[in-house]
Amino acid sequence: MTAVTPVTSADPLVYLTVSEASRLIAARKLSPVELVEAYLARIDAIDDVVHSYITVLADRARAAARIAEAEVLAGRWKGPLHGIPFAVKDNYHVKGVKTTGGSRLMLDYVADETSTAIEKLEAAGAILLGKLNTWEYGTGTGEIYHDLPFPLARNPWNPARHTGGSSTGAGVAVAAGTAMFALGSDTGGSVRLPAAATGVYGMKATYGLMSRAGCLPNCWSLDVVGPLTWTAEDNATVAQVMAGYDPRDPQSADVPSYDLMAGFDMGLKGLTIGVVRDLGADAPSMDPDIVTKLAETEVLLSELGATVVEIALPAPLSKYRSVTGTINWAESLSIHEQDFMERSHLMGKALKDKMTSGFTVRAVDYVAATRYRRQLAVTTDAVIRTVDAVLAPCTFITAPTFEDQERLVKFTFGSATSIFNVTGHPAISIPTGFDRDGMPTSAQIVGRYFDEATTYRVARALEKAAGTRGLRPAL
Amino acid sequence: MSDFPAWTQDEINAFAARYGLANLTPDHLARMRELADRVSAAGRAIPRMPSKGDEPASTFRVPLA
Amino acid sequence: MNAPVVAKALHHLTAAEASRLIAAKAISPVDLVKALLARIEAVEPRIASYITLDAEAALAAARRAEAEIAAGRWKGPMHGIPFAVKDNYDAAGLPTTAGSRLSEGWPRPDRDAALVARMKAAGAVLMGKLATWEFGTGNGGEYFDLPYPSARNPWHLDHFPGGSSSGAGTAVAAGTVTVALGSDTTGSVRLPAAATGVVGVKGTHGLLSKSGILANCYSMDIPGPLTWTVEDSALVMNAVAGHDPGDPTSLTGPVPDFRVGLKQGVAGLRIGVIRSFGPGMAPPDADLVAAFEAGLAVLADLGAVLIETDFPAPVADFYACTRIIGPVESATIHERELREMPDRMGFALRDKLMFGAQVRAVDYIAAQRRRRVLAAAMTAMMARFDAVVTFGAAHAAPRLGVEPGMTAFTTDTALVPFNISGHPSLVQCTGFNAAGLPLHWQIAAPHRADPTLLRVAAAYEAATPWRDRRPEP
Repeated sequence: MTAVTPVTSADPLVYLTVSEASRLIAARKLSPVELVEAYLARIDAIDDVVHSYITVLADRARAAARIAEAEVLAGRWKGPLHGIPFAVKDNYHVKGVKTTGGSRLMLDYVADETSTAIEKLEAAGAILLGKLNTWEYGTGTGEIYHDLPFPLARNPWNPARHTGGSSTGAGVAVAAGTAMFALGSDTGGSVRLPAAATGVYGMKATYGLMSRAGCLPNCWSLDVVGPLTWTAEDNATVAQVMAGYDPRDPQSADVPSYDLMAGFDMGLKGLTIGVVRDLGADAPSMDPDIVTKLAETEVLLSELGATVVEIALPAPLSKYRSVTGTINWAESLSIHEQDFMERSHLMGKALKDKMTSGFTVRAVDYVAATRYRRQLAVTTDAVIRTVDAVLAPCTFITAPTFEDQERLVKFTFGSATSIFNVTGHPAISIPTGFDRDGMPTSAQIVGRYFDEATTYRVARALEKAAGTRGLRPAL
Repeated sequence: MSDFPAWTQDEINAFAARYGLANLTPDHLARMRELADRVSAAGRAIPRMPSKGDEPASTFRVPLA
Repeated sequence: MNAPVVAKALHHLTAAEASRLIAAKAISPVDLVKALLARIEAVEPRIASYITLDAEAALAAARRAEAEIAAGRWKGPMHGIPFAVKDNYDAAGLPTTAGSRLSEGWPRPDRDAALVARMKAAGAVLMGKLATWEFGTGNGGEYFDLPYPSARNPWHLDHFPGGSSSGAGTAVAAGTVTVALGSDTTGSVRLPAAATGVVGVKGTHGLLSKSGILANCYSMDIPGPLTWTVEDSALVMNAVAGHDPGDPTSLTGPVPDFRVGLKQGVAGLRIGVIRSFGPGMAPPDADLVAAFEAGLAVLADLGAVLIETDFPAPVADFYACTRIIGPVESATIHERELREMPDRMGFALRDKLMFGAQVRAVDYIAAQRRRRVLAAAMTAMMARFDAVVTFGAAHAAPRLGVEPGMTAFTTDTALVPFNISGHPSLVQCTGFNAAGLPLHWQIAAPHRADPTLLRVAAAYEAATPWRDRRPEP
């Protein structure tokens, strides 16, 4: 793959991939201190434009970088994340650091615990740069109300355009080079939508694979955490560290650890890939450029040797949506009930709308949603188990401008992401190229339960063949 | 808890109609109004969890069984 | 070993006794079933323990068992043992009525519930389906408005046999079946056991499959055996426990031999003693307290180390959760029936559904969140002991249909904390009150420590004379 870097002010260091930087660090050709300084400089230079961060932890990152440098020089290289700078959506707690959740309700909140995900990454040598922008408590209708306490994150491919939410800073940081990788959280698409908007990879792993302990919840029964990265390989590398049973998370899956990169570079020969083309008569329409890219991706899968078959999901998109709506309103209200009853004037409109919706939901309807959810999971799984992996649409349009409320809502709710929150299957949002306006297009690769490895294998093969990784935002 | 207003019969009749409980007799609806106050009291009797992270005793897990 | 002698009426044999006699070919399964059918003919009109009796199928199964055993293919201790199930279990070819008019016209199931299938596979002989409150639902009140007669307490026909597995305790105590299976959402196995003086076990949640049992409350329903002795419960558990992919809450992992501790005694076991239900609940009656204290003395004599402890929260707090969770989950199960045919329900079920239909989601979720916290606190408390002894209900069986005794018997209990927490617990007989009605206590154990639970109960049972007396209804 040839890197074609457009006009940019960026230090080339911030556009290294995790695996590239890792090789240089291990070979002592690149110091973590140098790398962290390059990112801090990049943040200084462009974050006033893209607003990817809520909190930059410069001193903490510099201190960690010096330690990492000393460790590597002393021959104690810890592995592929040692010295790699990353950032997290501001709903991950770090002990002694503010967690705002993007909310006026938490502007002064200092966490007294560190999330398991960050503990694991830091133990692997990764260096936390700071906390990234987010919609309030991960909540968004898609509409932008300009009523949150921090400036709106902006898309580095075009700052007049949306970043995808709710992990609004996470995709931006990876694409614009203000972090080498980022962590988001995903209730109905909040990792995959920002990844789709900014042309990066965003993984929502099998429900329960990655611990959510120490993260602000949005909706317990649908939430997962996940990494956003520039390449498929980087994603698998980070995910491997995040995966694993954690008794601190009641929904953590107690399964033996497995290799997320098994077969990573084996190509697609012998694999059967199911393609989901029809999401129901009542699904929103797809933009022609998205349709074209999905069709091209299908062709590419065949050319790479996969057997491509059309599969049909057991229910239209709208049914999966109805499940996430009821469950999310009710659980979010339970989480924030006291705030809603006492301090709702501090909430932004999107969050307040969700709380208000949750207030009148009856328990029987909530339980009915959880029952229907299980049925959808069982019947969807039966379809997914007939193939090795699935190609499905991600968003139906590319990132819209902030002025276009209708398309903003469509970007968030008219997408196929929530299907796999309902069912719990691993789903990665992959970049498939660009539309006529130069905005990234996307698709989802979906796998069987606990088979992230095949989704990465497919993502990797498409990445190599499509060559989408050469172009970075001109910023 | 007397500081919360009791349900009225009209409210209960509207509630039942809204959620499709079409075959309840006037006797049933009168009984439902009595129950309604107990329902709200029972709901208020549940202590709210101090931490936003305290999860419900949920049953959805992967693998599915 | 001398030839076994049949020293008592066949209908009062325990499963363990009958099994030994069957294995020794001193009696045959056909003799046993015929004896039970004669007993049923004699007493069933007075006690109403069955909803459906399938004498023909039972005799046929008994003849098959007899032939298999005669041919040397003895399957184990359940082979040829008659059993019956609460009528919310499916049994192929028999109606599942759930004690309700709502079930009229339902097709008969063509499959056995998992536990019925496992009992049959172990060679047990299904006699029929036992009386139950409508879909296992009761608020304690008895409204005499269900399509089947109320089961009666065989110790005193004017008294309540406990609910909702109301026929199960009655049948075992009266000898209309050898062992029974019921289900327990907030006490529905243990309460009938308390009322009728039998052993009722609610094992560790997930140990016994719920597949093929009509749901009452997804997040709390637990099936369990009702038997005359602790050993019989162990035999039934051995036959039916274990993972079932058909039940999403079924536990995986090894299944213990539930008989392993039955003769080990309690010397050296650390047993927690809980005397108080906490504020907001009626204290136990004096005769239950006296029997409880005498029972503790028995355990102490046997060498157990008794340690005072408490529930981590008032029992009333546990009830606050189940009062929301139970009606809501029932209301989601019977939503259509409440819309379409509320007049075909008994008062108790309709009341519960009208309650559940109104609860807000946020209150239900709060109850489930509170449940997790209470369960964790219970687990921390239970972890300090090998077992815990406490009261079951605060009263002996009340007069059937007479308030306030009925509701008090059902709601003044310490049974619910173990439904909230999922810990194994059982109720067993601790003697009799002045009216000749059984007294009882409750024993509980840490998760998966079901063999220890049975061990403590078996030691107590062996040291006391309560199994010598049977009711004559």
